[in-house]
Amino acid sequence: MAVLPFRRVFVFFFILCFSLFYASVALGSGIDDEEFSEELLLRPLPDRKVLSHFQFRSRAPPNSSNGRHHHLFPKAISQLVQKFRLKEMELSFTQGRWNYDLWGGFDPISSNNAKPPGVELWAVFDVPQHHVDSSWKNLTHALSGLFCASINFLESSTTYSAPDWGFRPASGRLRYGTLPREAVCTENLTPWLKLLPCRDKAGVAALMDRPSIYKGFYHSQRLHLTSTEFDSDDVDSGIVLEQTLTVVLQTNGKKAVLTSQETKLQPSWSLTTMFGRKINGRCVLAKSSNVYLQLDRGLVAVLNNLQKENEISAPGNLAYEASRSNHGFELSVKPDRVLEEAESQGKNPSVLYEFAVGKYSNSESFDLGLTWKLPVVWSCQQAPLSASRFLMGSGNERGAIAISWKSSQLSQQLLHPDVIEENCKLQVNVFQVVPWYIKVYYHTLQVFVDERLEAVSDIVEKIRVSPSEDKVSPGVMEMILKFPCGMKSAAITLEFDKGFLHIDEYPPDANQGFDIPSALISYPNFHASIQFVEDKSLDKSPILAKFQEKSSVRSYTEVLLVPLTTPDFSMPYNVITITCTVFALYFGSLLNVLRRRVGEEERLLKSKAAKKTGQLPQLLLKLSAKLRGRSLETPQSSSTSSSFVSSKLILKVILVAGLAVAWQFYFAS
Amino acid sequence: MAEVSDSEPPKSETSQVQEPASDFDPKTMRKTKPGLKRLVLTLSVLFSFVLGFPFLWKTVEIYRAPLPFREVESLSAQLDSSPLLFPCHFQAIFLGFNSKSSITSSAIDDLQVSIINQMTKFTPQTPQCGTCSTNYTVSVVVESDSQCLQSQGSKSSSPWKCGSMAAVDFDSDDDDAIDDSLESVFGGWSEVASAGKVYTVVWVRRDDEVRAVVGKYRHAWISGRVSEAAAAASRMAEIFVKVFVNGGKEEGLIHEEFMPVGADGRIVLSFNLLNAEPRDWIYDWDFQDVDENLLSPVIEALEPIANITVESQVLYHTPKSSFSYWDDKLGSYIFSTKDLPFFVNSNEWHLDTSIAAGGRSKILHFVVYIPSSKECPLLLRLPDGEISKTNGFISPKWGGIIVWNPKGCGKNSGIEHPFRHTISHQDLQKVFEVFTGQFRQLFGLKSDNVYIGSSGTSSLLASERGFTVWELDVLSRQHTCSSLHSCATTLGSLSRLVQSLPRMIIMDEIGKQVKFSLDEAKLAQINASLGVYDASAVSSRQARSLAEEAFFHPSIMSVSYYSFEHCFAVYSPFFLPVSMHVLLAALREWRRYKHENRKYLAWKSKAVS
Repeated sequence: MAVLPFRRVFVFFFILCFSLFYASVALGSGIDDEEFSEELLLRPLPDRKVLSHFQFRSRAPPNSSNGRHHHLFPKAISQLVQKFRLKEMELSFTQGRWNYDLWGGFDPISSNNAKPPGVELWAVFDVPQHHVDSSWKNLTHALSGLFCASINFLESSTTYSAPDWGFRPASGRLRYGTLPREAVCTENLTPWLKLLPCRDKAGVAALMDRPSIYKGFYHSQRLHLTSTEFDSDDVDSGIVLEQTLTVVLQTNGKKAVLTSQETKLQPSWSLTTMFGRKINGRCVLAKSSNVYLQLDRGLVAVLNNLQKENEISAPGNLAYEASRSNHGFELSVKPDRVLEEAESQGKNPSVLYEFAVGKYSNSESFDLGLTWKLPVVWSCQQAPLSASRFLMGSGNERGAIAISWKSSQLSQQLLHPDVIEENCKLQVNVFQVVPWYIKVYYHTLQVFVDERLEAVSDIVEKIRVSPSEDKVSPGVMEMILKFPCGMKSAAITLEFDKGFLHIDEYPPDANQGFDIPSALISYPNFHASIQFVEDKSLDKSPILAKFQEKSSVRSYTEVLLVPLTTPDFSMPYNVITITCTVFALYFGSLLNVLRRRVGEEERLLKSKAAKKTGQLPQLLLKLSAKLRGRSLETPQSSSTSSSFVSSKLILKVILVAGLAVAWQFYFAS
Repeated sequence: MAEVSDSEPPKSETSQVQEPASDFDPKTMRKTKPGLKRLVLTLSVLFSFVLGFPFLWKTVEIYRAPLPFREVESLSAQLDSSPLLFPCHFQAIFLGFNSKSSITSSAIDDLQVSIINQMTKFTPQTPQCGTCSTNYTVSVVVESDSQCLQSQGSKSSSPWKCGSMAAVDFDSDDDDAIDDSLESVFGGWSEVASAGKVYTVVWVRRDDEVRAVVGKYRHAWISGRVSEAAAAASRMAEIFVKVFVNGGKEEGLIHEEFMPVGADGRIVLSFNLLNAEPRDWIYDWDFQDVDENLLSPVIEALEPIANITVESQVLYHTPKSSFSYWDDKLGSYIFSTKDLPFFVNSNEWHLDTSIAAGGRSKILHFVVYIPSSKECPLLLRLPDGEISKTNGFISPKWGGIIVWNPKGCGKNSGIEHPFRHTISHQDLQKVFEVFTGQFRQLFGLKSDNVYIGSSGTSSLLASERGFTVWELDVLSRQHTCSSLHSCATTLGSLSRLVQSLPRMIIMDEIGKQVKFSLDEAKLAQINASLGVYDASAVSSRQARSLAEEAFFHPSIMSVSYYSFEHCFAVYSPFFLPVSMHVLLAALREWRRYKHENRKYLAWKSKAVS
């Protein structure tokens, strides 16, 4: 088992050394400090899906050596760094939500590349404190132009925040903003691809067939850049641009014959079945161009168990000895290198197969396939606690946000050695940004551990709150919580009131509700890094270097959808109309009252009363006379009066008709 | 009211019945004067409404800063009717004319007149914008060993010192040396002559063929024999008008008024190296070196006209979008001129607009296209069947493209892993010479160094800075003119737009910008007429950028404006019913008052009688 891979590794090493020497001769002339590398990591997931993680890394040497002219590095990015004096920036476009339970929450990919839905942007500037906000605003506009996205909505101070220590340590020059509702599609991918020297014309990126990528369950396109240009003290390493695309795809395995045994089998897949394309050689500009297949610890454990059983049943079968992983599955291409995890907590280290794409070409294309031979069931490594966030309460007035944690089985294993200690604590950091129209009352913070209410001061180690200001800034909450290790579940709740927006501030689809961006939960005492045994002489591949980076385990919670009271948008006009009518009535009656001749009317009444019994009986008399068809006692006067009345009536009718005609004439046109 | 009037007749009836014998008829008469209280009240309400209406109108009126529409119109009319012209001074110097008869000053004056006449002959009938004003001032100097004569009226304008030319060795073969020594003679003059520039042509008498050279500065020299005075005058006049004034360009090559300068007076030169197929070969360049050595002199030279920045990138996998065909005779692939519009592949060539550039900068793309091994060498064929010498072309307002064929191409196709090459310095220098030529063409100047006029050929000395001083003068004049024109058109469009949308909000800022823009335009015109090139260029540029800023002001760009319909919908529910009440009440009171007054008058007349 040990001899053969070693020889293979040795031969490969020799070839690689030779080719490296060759390449360095060819490149020569000292201008090639700019590097580009492309990598693809594939990993089968327990729920019959496959994770594909593309990683491209471009590096530009520091400005002093090469001026502002670049050969490989994208011009747009270096101009962006120069113009806004960026120290670090990350922009991610994500669709779908990373399933932390099924796809794992304790590996570098899930903690670095699982991003909240929509757009997330954060940047650290190297400008004086009072210029940071204006730099951020200009940056959002530049990026929205560069990536064809509405990142410019992050310009408004209500959408971004300045986290202090909850997001990542930064000396006040960090700005963070998210757009949870931004739809991500191919128009964002194309400009992202434009930053790669080979775009999707050659190399690993040629696999990016748009329909297959966007058909996936999770899609996250990320751009991360670090620049040391403005650091005076640090080692100047220039600008490093890391572009990753993480997709979780359903394998289009053939479902022709599915016997009862085959349904248990994981679906077999290849690059063609997933992407509909093959890799036709590397991007010639890339320094390294590799495809990796990773089997995580759980899967390796299951495979090892299977092998042990098999060895017992068929001890003489030496063919399996050659490559033990070939036991449960078969690879269509022989890997160039097999890497094993150096020190894993369990006995079963994660395994990485490396395939160099460089030797393939148009005539002989690279199409990695994996065929399962035995049914396997495994689970990915989980984060110490699985967090979820939800809303409580009903109605349009108030509610509460709750974040709950459940301890996973795995974390208990992880914590096992520590449990012996009495005061073992599990540290959890929470960073949450809430828009201003969700008015969170931070004093209502309640902490429950194992469904018992605990004193806030016992659990919350450190808290920083910057309350929201109406129409100015969002509310930011950064918290360090220390839970006892042995706890089963925990929760925090915060009550809030729903605010009212101005009519102009409602989005077009206000009835859909408003998003509260994902909260970030991180576990600073746990580091998601995988250390692979490697030849020290070789250059570390960027993806492996990324795996080895000690970054704390992070996970994003769900985006919450809060329904707010949405007004009837024709309301202002209705209000105007009804108020005006009331005013007009009041005004008209007031005018009438002012004009009334009370004395004259009284005199009239008195004279009538003196003459006759009263007006009402007289009117009744008139009416009865009319009804009976008889002429009145005073025919003359009645005729005059009726003619007077009729002429007045006609005048009124004419006036109204004239007004109507005038109205029609002037306003209907 | 109606009730009151209705119930009145019965009352009068009763009174008639009561006092049948009396003269007093209550129906038609009354004893008291009718009261004015209610009439005054209703009328005052009505009048306060009528008076309040303008105030209401004022409050609902949207804010529109007053724009000087008439001045804008007059500016464009003025620029159309009388193009912007600069005063220019010319000086003709004849050296070594040792004629037997001494030259009289009247002969010199004749020569002056004949040069001026020839010059007006060369000038087009309608004066072009951005050229010199047609009333040329020419001073003539004839210097010989024995005497030194100067035409009249020119002594004040040109501080000519006799004998200062002795230091210049016109027999030298090195034209550049002559040019520089002439410059050392004339150099000091431009500062002295405040109004406009002085252009000089020196005629050196020799006995060989006539040879004309236009230097890098503001002078030219002709050496050779003089057959007759008229021919010499015509030759000189042609150099004055066609070269110094018009920049030696062919008529109608590029539209006169166009200058590839952004509205903010900036140009971004974006240089792109396109590797069509990096699988075949990859070429790289040392652009830093090019930038420092080849481009910076050009940029420096153009400083007065535009603020130029340079950026570069190398792109890969960028095929052109049209096909070429193989020509056996030439042994190369041919791309004909009629397909040129399809050469640029905007889908695959990501010649990005620059983030570093401001919003209204002009970006000129210069592209070096390296064809793939499948179509190498690639040559461009001119319409007349010739092969293009520069293997490049320009697209006005966009930039230029050069096809650069790597050496020995077609041989090393099929190499699996391509080597990286760097374009050698010599090749790069050639490429950038072509680019400089293209850049000159984009500015409307000639890219070759020979001027063929009607009376002979003149060679033009090329400056290492890409643009000679007199060319820069021409460009500066044209730039001033085109900026003013574009300022006038922009302001004209703005005023038309504002007038056509009566309910559009116009911020004070826009009004200010328009006003300042007009002021600057006026200043530019005054400076131009005085011959202060730099100041007029600066203020014209300012005028244009202010005009553009006003036109593209965000408040104008916003779609929503307070429409009349909206205003009507908001105010009519109140004012319509109320105005009905007020009007009717006033009308009724007025009628009643008249009626009652008549009754009172009737009674009065009766009582008197």
